[in-house]
Amino acid sequence: MLELLAIAAFALLAAGGALYAAFVRHTLHCIIGLGVTLFGVAGIFLYLGSPFVAAMQILIYIGGVSVAMVFALMLSVSLASRVEHSRWKVVGAILAAGFFFTSMAALITSTDFPLREEPLPPDAWAVTEIGHAFLTTYNVVFIGLSLTLLLAILAAVLVAGKEVEEL
Amino acid sequence: MNLTFFLLLSLLLFSAGLIAVMSRRNLVTVLVGIELMLNAASVNFMAFNFFVAPDPVVGQIIVLLIIGLAAAEVAVFLAILMVLYRARHEVDAEDIRELRG
Repeated sequence: MLELLAIAAFALLAAGGALYAAFVRHTLHCIIGLGVTLFGVAGIFLYLGSPFVAAMQILIYIGGVSVAMVFALMLSVSLASRVEHSRWKVVGAILAAGFFFTSMAALITSTDFPLREEPLPPDAWAVTEIGHAFLTTYNVVFIGLSLTLLLAILAAVLVAGKEVEEL
Repeated sequence: MNLTFFLLLSLLLFSAGLIAVMSRRNLVTVLVGIELMLNAASVNFMAFNFFVAPDPVVGQIIVLLIIGLAAAEVAVFLAILMVLYRARHEVDAEDIRELRG
């Protein structure tokens, strides 16, 4: 019962934050909405059996990505107050997203997914399993991800440090 | 809570991200929309991982991959944004027609 209440609260946080971020005018409020959503999604990961991924979500997404976005906003002051919107674009976006939502929801609710029948062994969800998989079967993923992060950070430093003339 | 609940939740996140990407002109809020869509994909993977997949390690690895790639993407995106802002003092998606350095 308590578990059900917790997962409902996290789902509400995720959905509410996402809708807030999608519709609010102010850019900083938009990023805060994203942060709330990320926190809710971390709680959902916790329910879905993976405390490790939930911790990574909080560390990398909330601690890294949203903070970087707030910093970028602070370094470019006039961005924050820009609230120009064309009404037709918003209406069009809502119509397109609503169409996508209804069609996909109909598809999801009408599909029979082949659920797993037999319960898993208790250590199938352990963090050590992820570590083993990363260093054996999925080693290419691990190394590729590391190299991508390294290159992305180098590229970000190079691009951001570049002197630019007025375009 | 069953699989359909989580799939619908992730669908809602994706639709919200779609609205943010399509309706905004400020590139920072477009980035927020992209992050929402990536998170929707993560929730989807974790839900299928919990209810369907024979080996629960695979979904977690894919979600970790998504998180890492999103971090890399945000770093590059924000760096480009800073350069754009320094050069033009705006980050309006409709006014930026060239990125040639």
